[in-house]
Amino acid sequence: MASRTQLLILSLGRRLSQQVKASVLAVQDYVLLTARGLAALVTPPRYQRELVTQMDSIGVQSLSIVVLTGMFTGMVLALQSAASLDAFGARPYVGRLVCISMVRELGPVLTALMVTGRVGSGMAAELGSMVVTQQIDALRVLGSDPVRKLVAPRLGAALIMVPLLTVISDTVGIFGGSLISIFNLKLSWEFYWRSVGNAMVINDLVMGFVKPLAFGLILSSVGCYMGLNTTGGTQGVGLSTTRSVVVASVTILSSDFFITKVLLILFPVA
Amino acid sequence: MRETIRAVLGLTPRPAPAPPEPPPGFRDPDEPIISFRDVHLSFDRPILQGVSFDLAPGTTKVILGGSGSGKTTILRLILGLLKPDAGSIHVDGADVGHMAEEDLRPVRMKLGMVFQEGALFDSLTVGENVGYRLVEDGNVSEAEVEARVREMLGFVGLAPFYGRMPSELSGGQRRRVAFARALVARPQIMLYDEATTGLDPITSTTITDLIVKVRDLDGVTSILVTHQLRDAFNVARTFMARENGEFVPKVVEDLSTLEGTEFMMLRQGVVEFKGTPHELQTSEDPYIKEFLS
Repeated sequence: MASRTQLLILSLGRRLSQQVKASVLAVQDYVLLTARGLAALVTPPRYQRELVTQMDSIGVQSLSIVVLTGMFTGMVLALQSAASLDAFGARPYVGRLVCISMVRELGPVLTALMVTGRVGSGMAAELGSMVVTQQIDALRVLGSDPVRKLVAPRLGAALIMVPLLTVISDTVGIFGGSLISIFNLKLSWEFYWRSVGNAMVINDLVMGFVKPLAFGLILSSVGCYMGLNTTGGTQGVGLSTTRSVVVASVTILSSDFFITKVLLILFPVA
Repeated sequence: MRETIRAVLGLTPRPAPAPPEPPPGFRDPDEPIISFRDVHLSFDRPILQGVSFDLAPGTTKVILGGSGSGKTTILRLILGLLKPDAGSIHVDGADVGHMAEEDLRPVRMKLGMVFQEGALFDSLTVGENVGYRLVEDGNVSEAEVEARVREMLGFVGLAPFYGRMPSELSGGQRRRVAFARALVARPQIMLYDEATTGLDPITSTTITDLIVKVRDLDGVTSILVTHQLRDAFNVARTFMARENGEFVPKVVEDLSTLEGTEFMMLRQGVVEFKGTPHELQTSEDPYIKEFLS
């Protein structure tokens, strides 16, 4: 009986160690792929046409969802903060609160999550389909480096477009907050925008720019990694797509905490 | 002095320097263009176990075997898409089993591959697919690329399909486009991975005739991986003959007179048979007999 228990523990231990080893190897592969993709961005040959196509796919085609998300987030933020600030007679600070929340936190995170859902999953599905239909093998046989041809343009496009989309989302969100402040909270237009202008300092802009850069890199690299590691035919493509959204979203949210922590140390709030 | 110190410390003498390696791609004209020596490969189970064979320039090797026997793996090893666990693989003198990915490009330029389902790039037109390698090479002008692509599409009988998307093509047309894409850079060696699987007999014959044409008219060395016996024997027994100024396919009825084509049969990663089509057909091996029946 004791030997059976020992065998069970041994087998569980072995399985656990295999899982840990597989996870460590996956992280190593992911880091290597991302590093190679970034290196391919700055060394020739570069695929400019692919980069423009991806910028269109990630940026232009995500514009509508990012604008809608930003607008409604800013509006609801103004409504919610007014309800809380009224208790302290601080309704005039709504503009300041909406601005800081959008630029420092909600704009970057929500934009990244929306783009992950729309584009990160698409990257995983597209590259996954290319893997299962042997198109990646065909690329290699025909003399192309899949990392240079497929991964680098996606990373580059995400690094350029996610910060731009975030700026648009922030702007639209603050504008949405102004609409609620004027028509619902009866604050004046000038007062709201002066409050926004006074609230914004360089530290906010740094945080609002660094985060989308990091999130853009995460969502595109996870999408590419999951896609290129697809196995198991069309069923595997579906699995990679789901995984890429889950992993990228969780990584974005958890990295948000650490980036905030580091940036608050480097650029403390006055 | 150094020798004395090494002797005192019990160190083994440094081995003599290895003879200089021939430059990549160097091959003696008498040597085979493709050579496998005791190649082993395993993933979660053994895929290839001690596979050895040679392929002389201008000849054809037909690799037969059931699903999962390791046929496609051999092609992937030749292309350097996989690395063997043990053994050596030489393609035109280059040791592809031990070459880095970035060094494989010159070797791959000598190879043309027709993938099982064509593996055409969905986002590119038929013309762009066929001309992909030439554009990627960067040394060919746009006009020349178009001329070569149109020539190749004409060769496979799909000249009017230049601007179509792969999604608009039938299975047989996709294979023919894949064929044109593989041929456009005029490779020395053509690899066919189940090029006729899933096609109707008439379309299969069109594909096998193309394989024969490339072999007989351009002297291209070929490896054909298939489990379709009919198509394998078609390739072996068909040859191109000139008739009224045109090349037409002719069939040799007597298999014992055939030359230039060797059959190899794999069974669970092991070479079960190597020989001529006639030797295969007359084999007394129970597995081969069952496979052929």
